[in-house]
Amino acid sequence: MSPVGRTFSSMKKGRKTIKAKKKTARKKTARKKTANKKNSARRNRSGKKTGMRWIGRIWRLALLFAGICLGLLIPWTAYLNHQVTTEFEGRKWDLPSRVYARALDLYPNAPITLKDLELELSIAGYRRKANASRPGLYSVSGSTLEIYRRSFRFHDGVEDALRFSISLQSAKVGRLRDVESRKTLDLVRLEPAEIAAIYPLQKEDRTLVKIKDVPPLLLTGLQAVEDRNFKHHPGVDVKGIARAALANLQAGRAVQGGSTLTQQLVKNYFLSDERTIARKVNEAIMALLLEFHYDKSEILEAYLNEVFLGQQGAYAVHGFGRASLYYFDRPLDRLEPQHIALLIGMVRGASYYNPRRHPERALKRRNQVLSAFETTGLLSIADARAAVASPLDVTEQARSRGTRYHAFVDLVRRQLAQVYREEDLKTEGLSIFTTLSPVDQEKAQKAVSDGLKRLQDRGLPAGLQAAMVLADTDSGEIRALVGDRNANRAGFNRALDARRQIGSVIKPLVYLLALEHEADYHLLTRIADRPLSLKLPDGSLWTPANYGKVSHGEVTLLEALTRSYNQATVRLGVNIGISHLLQKLEQLGVRADVQAVPSIFLGAVELTPLEVTQIYQSLAAGGYTVPLRSVIAVQTADGSELVRYPLRMMPLARREVIGVLNYAMTQVVQQGTAKALPGLLGKQTVIAGKTGTTNDRRDSWFVGYTRNRIAVAWVGKDDNRPAGVTGSNAAMRLWAGLFRELPIESLDLRLPDGATWLWVDRDSGALTAENCHGAFRVPFVDGSGPGELTDCLAKTRDDEQESFWRKWFGKKNQD
Amino acid sequence: MLNMIKFNWLPVNFHAVCGLTSLALVLSACAGYTPAPVSDREVETRVREPASTDSEGVQVFPLQNPAVKELLADAGSAETAGEYNQAAVLLERALRIQPRDPEILQQMAEVQLRKQDYEQALNFAVRSYDIGPRVGEICARNWRTISVSREHLGDRNGSVLAEQRATTCMNTKPRSL
Repeated sequence: MSPVGRTFSSMKKGRKTIKAKKKTARKKTARKKTANKKNSARRNRSGKKTGMRWIGRIWRLALLFAGICLGLLIPWTAYLNHQVTTEFEGRKWDLPSRVYARALDLYPNAPITLKDLELELSIAGYRRKANASRPGLYSVSGSTLEIYRRSFRFHDGVEDALRFSISLQSAKVGRLRDVESRKTLDLVRLEPAEIAAIYPLQKEDRTLVKIKDVPPLLLTGLQAVEDRNFKHHPGVDVKGIARAALANLQAGRAVQGGSTLTQQLVKNYFLSDERTIARKVNEAIMALLLEFHYDKSEILEAYLNEVFLGQQGAYAVHGFGRASLYYFDRPLDRLEPQHIALLIGMVRGASYYNPRRHPERALKRRNQVLSAFETTGLLSIADARAAVASPLDVTEQARSRGTRYHAFVDLVRRQLAQVYREEDLKTEGLSIFTTLSPVDQEKAQKAVSDGLKRLQDRGLPAGLQAAMVLADTDSGEIRALVGDRNANRAGFNRALDARRQIGSVIKPLVYLLALEHEADYHLLTRIADRPLSLKLPDGSLWTPANYGKVSHGEVTLLEALTRSYNQATVRLGVNIGISHLLQKLEQLGVRADVQAVPSIFLGAVELTPLEVTQIYQSLAAGGYTVPLRSVIAVQTADGSELVRYPLRMMPLARREVIGVLNYAMTQVVQQGTAKALPGLLGKQTVIAGKTGTTNDRRDSWFVGYTRNRIAVAWVGKDDNRPAGVTGSNAAMRLWAGLFRELPIESLDLRLPDGATWLWVDRDSGALTAENCHGAFRVPFVDGSGPGELTDCLAKTRDDEQESFWRKWFGKKNQD
Repeated sequence: MLNMIKFNWLPVNFHAVCGLTSLALVLSACAGYTPAPVSDREVETRVREPASTDSEGVQVFPLQNPAVKELLADAGSAETAGEYNQAAVLLERALRIQPRDPEILQQMAEVQLRKQDYEQALNFAVRSYDIGPRVGEICARNWRTISVSREHLGDRNGSVLAEQRATTCMNTKPRSL
């Protein structure tokens, strides 16, 4: 149970006890009364003495009552004392865990546009001003920005505040310079955006502050307004109460409260909100006890973190630390006098003086507080006037407390759920450092949302859904994850949970397996794309057809893959064996629970977009499997490291074959089923890709990768009904919508040891020389390749040999 | 999901490793296979110093991004100070900037060697070789790291082969890539 919850239930118990005790006390008094009555009947003869006796009796009665009360008060106080000390000392607020994006590294030549940099800054809560005069602000002039970075803690240390300038040239970082020292900088890290928080059940939000980090004006100002005698009173301020009573009497209504800060804390911390005498008494006793046990600074610190200052949706904003972020989007130590005054003013009624909802009321209240600052000498007249003249300065909208990145945060939770209980995530105030690039995430979501709308305009049915995963090829770090066409909808996370047939997306693995048999296959080996029938385990006959119901006869492996011919692929698959394909899937990180039927060669395997990304990550990185990661490190609230997920890579065997396959996949984009892609992108970047379509056009897939990024897109209907989609008419378009906006580099087609580029003749497929007509370059695994030579190559070889002999013999003779 | 991901990539047969070790260490338990005690200076004495001898006269100086240079220098200092985890974090950051830089990958391999994570030392060194110049000092460091890692992983033959390979880094011409 939470500490506060515990307090409430034990208080209830406490209340029950006090009622029970009162009852016994009343009974005792009643018994005494009856006894007294009998006595009085006997003694009622002398009338004069009766009055005196009555007074005496009342006196005695009062004494008795006082004694009883005292007798109860002492154990009651002891009980409260126990409550106060145990709860106060063991106090531990449930703190939400905060989830951070990756920190963007800026360095000369880093690819970034002005637009993206500004977006990155705004998501991290930086605001554009004419002058980057304090942390959290930036200014732009032409293509140069000046950024005043806040100090922040990251998973590998603390970065100090830094005011630096950055020039951008043709979508790249030009020069970085420290504004103060004028020194050139080689590397600057931006503060990462907080992308989500994982909240406790109690629905309280808090950012704890230490009293030494709180601006002095807040400390003194708070006392000046709420409790001038705080430093001296013992917990209850009799003078204060009198002053308040007088003021209220004069005003004819409650204008001042006599509660000390200590009493307010006790009320917030231990008691319910009911307005009864009993509660007031408890409050006073507990305040006195609190003051007796703890010093003023401890009490004040607790107050600063406990006081209620607003409501954000279902979550209560507690404490000045959180309120400062909630209203001004800056940490407490960056507040100016007018901001501090507003927050102090809101202590009296956070909802009533809500500056977003009731700006006029809030302004009036703030200025009242400012004038109190002035009269108590906390602010000079000039400063107070300037502060009064300044606007409320509250940000229009609180930085969204929830997240727009539901799908990604869902992945983070699941990754951490393997290590932590959900409850710890919600209460321990952990800092979770993730791999998300907010800019890429925004772009990916936009590519999906806008892309689907455009598909509808192009005649595809309404109600399509989509998912997208974007990762860094070599680090396996997930940069963006989209699980729904609507960014604001949390729920079914298609990127992780939509298990759908992958169709032709599986084909490259069939070809990879074939190419591993270098004695039998290379990319130019011819296979038959002709109708075939296979007997299935259940005795039925399976007759795969091609798209468009056409067979293409003898085709090369390269053609069959790039044009995604079904009959050729099934024929190849049968030669290789289903079990090998399943093994390959497992080797690439996915265990598919499927029946071993030949339709697997055409993708009758249900996988999620994330799993497909993992498979192709290995290929995209040239045969190095890196587990996809969304979390880099987790820290406790005090900044010590709890867990880290470092980069680990595992080389696959036969990386030279993967090198050859990667080339074949670039040809899918160059001349195969994805040949519309370069046009959609408007770039000639070398990209490897594969489209996928399933039966009756239920699913559309596209997997594509460049040198540095890999992304998988899926489009279909949630109910798995025919959706009219193919790999190239839907998913590929979403993919293109994202990659159009990303800085991308051509795929690295260098081959590892064991494979070589050779020149071959376009028509015959025979080996040829670079300068021969119709020559093009194809990679081959060593020990494979065409046997024949073109006449042109034979001639070139003769020439070369001749020149070789001439060179060496000639040289020797000369010597 | 992520927890489903299994990797069958280990280049070494662990049963064989265990068998050999148990022979050597009499009845020590397979599960408790602990790496041979390593001298702290293994990276210097068995990788860096011999590699500079292997590659005398053959040097490749790749152009380096100043940001990467800064991170590599910091990682080097962390390594010297014995803060291997911090060094690995810095190298990982450098790899985010230049994922296919053979020098960063090799330095990472050496840090893994110091951390006695021989599998990762092996893997990073292999990766560095795959995309590196395959010649010169870095090639020699690649193979020497591979050799030391294989030895610790119990692959005696592979270790010897890798050491021989290191000495040829000087006379192997870079392949046409």
